[in-house]
Amino acid sequence: MELFIDHCCEKCTHSKESACKDFIACCVEGPICHENPECKAKRKTIMARVALNDKFVIC
Amino acid sequence: MSFEKHLMICGATGCISSGSNKVQQALVEELEKHGLKGKYRLVMGGCPGLCEEGPIIVIYPDEVFYCRLKPEDMTEMVEKHLIGGEVVERLLYNGPDVDSPVRFYDSIPFYAKQKFNVLRNGGIIDPESIDEYIMRGGYRAFSRALEMDPETIYGEVKQSGLRGRGGAGFPTGMKWQFAAQSKGSKKYVVCNADEGDPGAFMDRSILEGDPHAILEGMLICGLAIGADEGYIYCRAEYPLAIKRLKIAIDQAENYGLLGKNILGYGKNFKIKIKEGAGAFVCGEETALLASIEGRRGVPRHRPPFPAVEGLWGKPTCINNVETFANIPLILKKGGVADFASVGTEGSKGTKVFALAGKIRNTGLCEVPMGITIREIIFDVGGGIKDGRKFKAVQAGGPSGGCIPEEYLDLPIDYDSLTSAGAIMGSGGLVVMDEGTCMVDLARYFLSFTQKESCGQCIPCRLGTTQMFNILNDITEGRGKPEDIKLLEELAWAIKKGSMCGLGQTAPNPVLTTLRYFRDEYEAHVYEKRCPALVCKALLRYCIDPEKCIGCRRCTKECPVDAISGEKKEPHVIDQELCIKCGACFDVCPKKVQAVEVLSEGLPEPKVNETCEEGCKCQS
Repeated sequence: MELFIDHCCEKCTHSKESACKDFIACCVEGPICHENPECKAKRKTIMARVALNDKFVIC
Repeated sequence: MSFEKHLMICGATGCISSGSNKVQQALVEELEKHGLKGKYRLVMGGCPGLCEEGPIIVIYPDEVFYCRLKPEDMTEMVEKHLIGGEVVERLLYNGPDVDSPVRFYDSIPFYAKQKFNVLRNGGIIDPESIDEYIMRGGYRAFSRALEMDPETIYGEVKQSGLRGRGGAGFPTGMKWQFAAQSKGSKKYVVCNADEGDPGAFMDRSILEGDPHAILEGMLICGLAIGADEGYIYCRAEYPLAIKRLKIAIDQAENYGLLGKNILGYGKNFKIKIKEGAGAFVCGEETALLASIEGRRGVPRHRPPFPAVEGLWGKPTCINNVETFANIPLILKKGGVADFASVGTEGSKGTKVFALAGKIRNTGLCEVPMGITIREIIFDVGGGIKDGRKFKAVQAGGPSGGCIPEEYLDLPIDYDSLTSAGAIMGSGGLVVMDEGTCMVDLARYFLSFTQKESCGQCIPCRLGTTQMFNILNDITEGRGKPEDIKLLEELAWAIKKGSMCGLGQTAPNPVLTTLRYFRDEYEAHVYEKRCPALVCKALLRYCIDPEKCIGCRRCTKECPVDAISGEKKEPHVIDQELCIKCGACFDVCPKKVQAVEVLSEGLPEPKVNETCEEGCKCQS
């Protein structure tokens, strides 16, 4: 998972053709539709790569 | 992989023009030389505002603001700071408003009174990354709006008190309500990015630094009024803004935020970019719509207003860039109260201003509505360049008005500026010092609006031409006593009789300079004198024989050989030959200052009663 649009696992089905209503919140706080620490960590990795400081990410 | 540091290079047009691309290239080479490529993240980001000090690099998480950078500084920056961990003091901000070099935004006086709403992401995010926009809370307001009904959306915008940032200050929520309540199955949202005021670059900076904020604002507007299509009308002279908008649109489409069945809510919205061809009048909403339709960009009568009958005859909501950039802040959870807590009773929120002219800190600032002109010019702007005296500020671009020193404590809001004869406009502030001739300035701004008049209605087309000719005569020593009254009469006739905002506001610079600087007009007309020593026809260059040391610099520099004199002897300027270019004044050594500029009034033309027909002695 390099970008938020990439799927964290097979449970994520968001795409432009089949969009998920929770997509935006899921990018930063997700996964929302399932519990998985690894999937959460993938999102955190994306954010950690570009966050300038601890105030950068706004939920 | 995480990066050790983030190097945010200002990649906005202002810093690019002062060399940030070359600085970036030098930085990349230096990092490669030390095998550090990939260790640090380099981002050509948006504008941090302080254009005067560009090119700028801000390093995170160290929080170090380097400015006035040159490619040759990169070696030291890499070796000393990135490798050695030591701040390079000589590259820090060290303006006259600080006692010693300071290292970050929070200690630079330029930023002390600013509040970043619209410019919240400028210089913070990579403008070409939708992920970073989302991390900063982006598209949250849109997600929320998807769950709301249209009445609640425009109701919140109304409640926030947001007024259009394009110039007129019409309540945005009300405009949205009109468009929402207009009948029709097809409606449009249009973003006016045709920023044409000389010296204004607020919208450009937002588009370049945070393009997704505009898309989000337009998407929310689409939900509020029931539109499924939007246009961004952007001037072609903003290639970087257009490039970043295109990237942003592609990303939003790819993420399912634009297109069909957005985020599964069954809503559709697409955005197209239309490049303007450079006509100032296309900033007027009906001219802009005509231009999008492929017709000649000229205004039409209103009503019907675009909210009722706009693009291709369909209800259309037009807002400017800064207005749309405010929308995500208002529609986010708790956004209305936050937004309305800043500003004055009649003007809520913040306003972005472009500071230009004789001010020390040229650049962009975002300040709360209600801040005084004095605070903007002296606290944010750092005062007047070269220790000179403030004379006036032109607010609102070429259609705005000149505000004199006695109004320095006027709070900046829509109503106060209008009462002073100026307008908020889109946010251009051109500062003038004592060396500015207000008659010449009025002539300059009028020449701009006169050339940009579409020519469709007579008061604007012919009226501005007549006013320009009169002002030209006055600045060239041909002014007649009746000209001042005639200027005023023409100005009011043009304001009342013109069809669109261009004509209705074009006389403002003349009216305000007549109101506040009438003595300068009178000096030009009655005494043929320019007190600010600007109007060439009313000047005379001469050499003080007591001071001249005969160094011959002026004789060598004079392009028309108007200066004569022996070496080490006082020189003389032949007034018949002199073209008043000022070259002699510029090259005369500062410690000598023998060349003087005088404006003592032109001699009365000699009338020879006995002249024969055809004699040119009066000319």
